[in-house]
Amino acid sequence: MTISTLSDWTGEVGTVTIGATKADGGTRSGTVTIGGERDLAFIGNPPTGNRPLIAYELCDDPSLWPAPVIRFLGDRASDPAEWARFAAGEYRPDLIRLYLTSTRKRGFSAFAAITTTVENILQATGLPLIIEGSNDPELDSEVFRRIGEAGEGERLLIGTAEAGRYRSIAASAMAFGHLVIAQSPIDINLAKQLNILLREIGLPHDRIVIDPYTGALGYGFEYSYSVMERIRTAALKGDDDLAMPMISSAIDSLTVKEVREADPSASDRTSVAWELYAMLPATVAGASIVCVRHPSTIQPLKAAIEALWSPPGGGA
Amino acid sequence: MPTVTFLPGFRKTELPSGSTILQAAQQAGIHMNVVCGGLGKCGKCTVYVKSGRYDFDREKYGKFFTPEELEAGACLACQTSVLGDVRVLIPEESIVQEQKILIDVMGTTTELNPAVWKYALRLSPPSLDDPSPDLTRLLWGIEKSGGPNEGDIYAPLEVIRRIPRVLRESGWRVTATVVLVPGGYRLVDIERGDTTPACYGAAVDLGTTTIVVFIRNLIDGSIMGVASNYNRQISCGEDILSRVTFARKGGLKKLQALAAESINAAITEAANNAGIDRDHIYEVVVAGNTIMTHILMGIDPAYMIEEPYVPVVRRYLTAAASRAGLEVGENSGLFIFPAVSDFIGGDIIADILASGMAEQEDISLLIDIGTNFEVVLGNRDWMFACAGAAGPALEGGEVLFGMRANAGAIEQISLDLETFTPAYRTIQHTKPKGICGSGLIDLLAELLRACIIDRTGRINTAIEHERIRSGRQVPEFVVAWKGETGIGKDIVITENDVKALIMSKASILAACRTLMKQAGITHAEIARIYFSGAFGNYISKENAITIGLIPEVPVERIFPIGNGAIEGANLVLLNRRKKRFLDEIARKIAYIELNAEPSFMDEYTGSCFLPHTDLSLFPTVEEMLEKCRLRRGVP
Amino acid sequence: MALKALDIYKLLPKKNCKECGEPTCLTFAMKLASGKVKPEDCPYLDENVREILGASTRPPVQRVKLGVGERSFAVGDEIVQFRHEKTFFHEPGIMTAVSDLMDPDSIQAVVADVRDHLLVRIGLDLRLNGIAVWSASGSPDAFATAVEAVEAVAELPEVLMAEDPAVQEAGLAVCGNYRPLIHAATGDQYREMCALAVKHGCPLAIRAPDLDALAGLSGLCTAEGVSHLVLDLTSPSLHDMLNQATAVRQQAITRTAPALGYPVFLDTRPCGLPDAALICGVLKYGSVLVADPLSEASRKALLVLRQNIYTDPQKPIQITPGIYRVGSPGPDAPVLLTVNFSLTYFTLQGYLEASGTDSFMLIVDTEGLSVLTSVAAGKLSETLVRDSLKEFAVPDLVKHRTLIIPGYAAPLSGKIEDETGWKVLVGPRDAADIAEFLEKEWT
Ligand code: SF4
Ligand code: FES
Repeated sequence: MTISTLSDWTGEVGTVTIGATKADGGTRSGTVTIGGERDLAFIGNPPTGNRPLIAYELCDDPSLWPAPVIRFLGDRASDPAEWARFAAGEYRPDLIRLYLTSTRKRGFSAFAAITTTVENILQATGLPLIIEGSNDPELDSEVFRRIGEAGEGERLLIGTAEAGRYRSIAASAMAFGHLVIAQSPIDINLAKQLNILLREIGLPHDRIVIDPYTGALGYGFEYSYSVMERIRTAALKGDDDLAMPMISSAIDSLTVKEVREADPSASDRTSVAWELYAMLPATVAGASIVCVRHPSTIQPLKAAIEALWSPPGGGA
Repeated sequence: MPTVTFLPGFRKTELPSGSTILQAAQQAGIHMNVVCGGLGKCGKCTVYVKSGRYDFDREKYGKFFTPEELEAGACLACQTSVLGDVRVLIPEESIVQEQKILIDVMGTTTELNPAVWKYALRLSPPSLDDPSPDLTRLLWGIEKSGGPNEGDIYAPLEVIRRIPRVLRESGWRVTATVVLVPGGYRLVDIERGDTTPACYGAAVDLGTTTIVVFIRNLIDGSIMGVASNYNRQISCGEDILSRVTFARKGGLKKLQALAAESINAAITEAANNAGIDRDHIYEVVVAGNTIMTHILMGIDPAYMIEEPYVPVVRRYLTAAASRAGLEVGENSGLFIFPAVSDFIGGDIIADILASGMAEQEDISLLIDIGTNFEVVLGNRDWMFACAGAAGPALEGGEVLFGMRANAGAIEQISLDLETFTPAYRTIQHTKPKGICGSGLIDLLAELLRACIIDRTGRINTAIEHERIRSGRQVPEFVVAWKGETGIGKDIVITENDVKALIMSKASILAACRTLMKQAGITHAEIARIYFSGAFGNYISKENAITIGLIPEVPVERIFPIGNGAIEGANLVLLNRRKKRFLDEIARKIAYIELNAEPSFMDEYTGSCFLPHTDLSLFPTVEEMLEKCRLRRGVP
Repeated sequence: MALKALDIYKLLPKKNCKECGEPTCLTFAMKLASGKVKPEDCPYLDENVREILGASTRPPVQRVKLGVGERSFAVGDEIVQFRHEKTFFHEPGIMTAVSDLMDPDSIQAVVADVRDHLLVRIGLDLRLNGIAVWSASGSPDAFATAVEAVEAVAELPEVLMAEDPAVQEAGLAVCGNYRPLIHAATGDQYREMCALAVKHGCPLAIRAPDLDALAGLSGLCTAEGVSHLVLDLTSPSLHDMLNQATAVRQQAITRTAPALGYPVFLDTRPCGLPDAALICGVLKYGSVLVADPLSEASRKALLVLRQNIYTDPQKPIQITPGIYRVGSPGPDAPVLLTVNFSLTYFTLQGYLEASGTDSFMLIVDTEGLSVLTSVAAGKLSETLVRDSLKEFAVPDLVKHRTLIIPGYAAPLSGKIEDETGWKVLVGPRDAADIAEFLEKEWT
């Protein structure tokens, strides 16, 4: 076949490895590597780089979590370790992403609990972990220090650095050997700026995963989709400050009107559809990690990613 | 007491022995550069002592000078005490130009081709042999003196009425004045005797806030007088939009009268200073923004500020000056610069003319900065222009201790990159009261170099230093301690100030980049950047580039043109041949509406970073910042 | 490749004669570069230049229209590979499949459902587009009967999926006047299929084992007089569909393989992952998508995704300015000001609803610009706020005089207070923090 895709790209997305096994000084049962693409997502025979991965999201304070998930999980949602064990065992995501939502309550001061929660999750699953800390500059330095310390050696991916508050999280990542999610509000320039800021305070590019912020389907998703495409093409054109893998999570998917108001009998199906129809496009736009909250989304999403990844004859 | 004589002007002053030369200069009313405030740190107050007894520590301050300079008597004025009579040469670099409103004695040379001629005539009285009428006699006289053909000169009734008396009372020795207007030659005055040397014109910059007037001698082109003054329309609204609103509510007449009044006042002041009669001003050339010139001509500007934003007139306008209420010679001409759109007015056309960019093959970028900014990109074949709002930050507005370029404003500042100690210079060398635009640009660049702010303008509060503190709401940096200021409190720059400045500079840079993109031009292809506007002359080119206010080009390609509007008006006044060229310029310009340009917002966010998100656009700045970071070590 | 304004300008006569309706040749060049005028509008271009300009400004993907009447739709006319480069112009048509093995009643039920299904979002009607009739039986009669069943219920655009020319002809005999898409010509029977397409004036889908063969076939079909082609890239492999559709789009817009400058047809059934295939089809260059009937959840998500992707990224969707209520606010409820950029509106509305605070949203007209942009562009100003308060009679709605403005509008707070006399509270920058903000500040 002579007519094929035109791949005259010169750049390459950097690779990032998350998690550490015993051999690397951690306790994970395996590690995952993302990035490395030299073309658009899924393009090429075989595609370049690494297959996009699925992270399953959970939290330590379910009162701020979408209702359809809590309904689906029942009691399991009250214990993050149990939650993680269940999701990892039954649904087989590639990573677990824990939100320390407890830190977002007003007047939070239970810093010791952070250490315990992180340790418990580390024990509950052997999957590589993503940990989301506080989003209050007042708490950040203590929270991220705790996370960093509790997960020392595990090569966690921790979030979320923003242009307004990136120093504490970067400091923790540098001190304890972790990776950082750098989030900017749906804008390629802002994404790049944050990466430069992080580089300038000493966090190397291979420790950064870009989160371009993802709007829910129907609520600005198209902006995120295009920003991801732009970031990816910029990287392929050789812009080193944008050549990091991306993580995408449409965190509002399960609270949008369409899902909230869905008929109870269709609640799960609607939840899955809303997550699938945002996260599969995110992988096509170039995201290396896509995140879901409804356990039932994992299987169809995984099947779709595999079908997109495998050239015919390459096995599914 | 010793006497200090300043060369080259021989200005003298007496003061007690032991005083510094700097003090002597201040006493003599000479404004010297004292960037470091007279601490002997900046080396900007260089003088050469030519003779007399004085004391200066050559060992300590020798590093500022070359051996040749020391040989020639170089000293730092602030560190040299006078012990007896001395003669001191102040090199031009050490003198601060007068601040206030920018009045620039034009640098551009042009041929002298005014549109006004005066003819001193000795006519023979009529007789029975020679009974031709007075007017014919006069016009014949003009023709014989080398003027236009008798048949080509139009004489208005008011002038004709005066002819018989003036001719006879003067014993047939008169001076006739002829002006070339678009319709042809026009006899505008007849006077007794020979008044040919009294031939003047006025160039006017009609700005929204200020008005500047130059009176020029049209015989030799020399400057007779200069005056400036606030636009009295300010009483009807601070900014341009409120003026239009005022005009809409039936206030057009009043605004027109105020515009004329403001110009008249400035003309009168300049004429009085020069000791000339306003009636001898035969032509007035006005450059102003589109709304201002519409108002001056009494044309309703209301439709310009609503979609689709069309001005009533685009091409140049002429009329008798008296019809606009200008108090100059009764029949004198008035010439109004053409405009491109409501946003690109005659002031910008004047900028373009003054810069000379419309005559060059190389591509130039012209930037006029005020609360609103205009940018023009192009050469003699094509031009793109756009306009937008930069916000008042760069003029000192919306910045906590920002101020206009008045006495007491810090207009230049540098930081010691180790100790963060500022060295600054204020306008008129009084104690600092605030910081003006050029000072803010310096400050931003220095804060960045010192790694006190990151590229988004956030102050790094992790640095422990007395000048960096958390402030009431946001972090701030102390520029001057209470004791050293003229306002009794610390002068600071807050993180919000820095952000406002970044947003302002970003809109300007984004506008430049949008035009460049539209034309497909890279930084390297820009042969010249012209800077016009209030602070254009005082701004540090390096720092303007460091913060990304303008695209990076080698600094020698940057030319401040000061007040381009008044310069352009002067050029047209002195050389009438430029008039036709103005319409040509105006026609060549393609106006780009930034709000309709989808890439503008992208350029804007890209520019909200110091200097820009695409670091490769500012290679030397990057190199410099890299060094600064290395020196400080990674925090 | 697209030419820049200045490149075009260099080719123009530079007479500035205004005959094209533009003030200068340069403005004409700018408009030509952005496709707002045609080269023909300037009478002074020589043939050569017109050719160059025409070739570089004509859309590289052929426009093709399916169906007639109200529900007909056009695809193609695309000019970019990524939507952020400009926009995608024509949404793919989603064609629900029925087979001629189904009994007419079931067919009609499907058709009626497609006809009536409607989702209204942001003031726009989102619909499925048409029916693909699949010849599973191979019998011309059965096919004709199925097509008749479809026709009996609704005038919807159709795809007639029958590769046997005889079967195809039977279907066309029923609905050939209504511009169905003929599916599909192959190397073996393209002459007959082309003849049918010419006879009925219908667009024709073509299918070949690989892209080279497809380009060849496309040439053969145009030689037969069919210029409204659609390229069938269906494959059991999702990976292949994505790769081939990407290749076709790249080749078309770079004009390296003009024979591939046609819209793409994808049948999502063979790959066994209907949702995934539809998603890829919407994202990556499908123009006609065939699918089995979907669950309501998938259907909604699909229509919304398609709307999202085909929204012009340069023209934000706007909300009509005015007062909007969240819950049932009373005279003490907070008034939150924001801009009429739809995303901003929906985001704030979502969080306000979630916060459970009854409130008023005052939406002012910033021409669809976001808060940050409209502040920067001077579109959001104190006078606009003042006029909007008045226009929407906000003082009559509430007893208090406090206005909550978005965090990014903070620089305007003083001016708004001066201009309106209202007290201004600067809200959070991120709508997600609104609940917390209200809890703290609004008691
Ligand atoms: S018609 Fe042609 S020559 Fe005349 S102005 Fe338009 S582009 Fe220029
Ligand atoms: S060295 Fe004299 S003023 Fe700075």
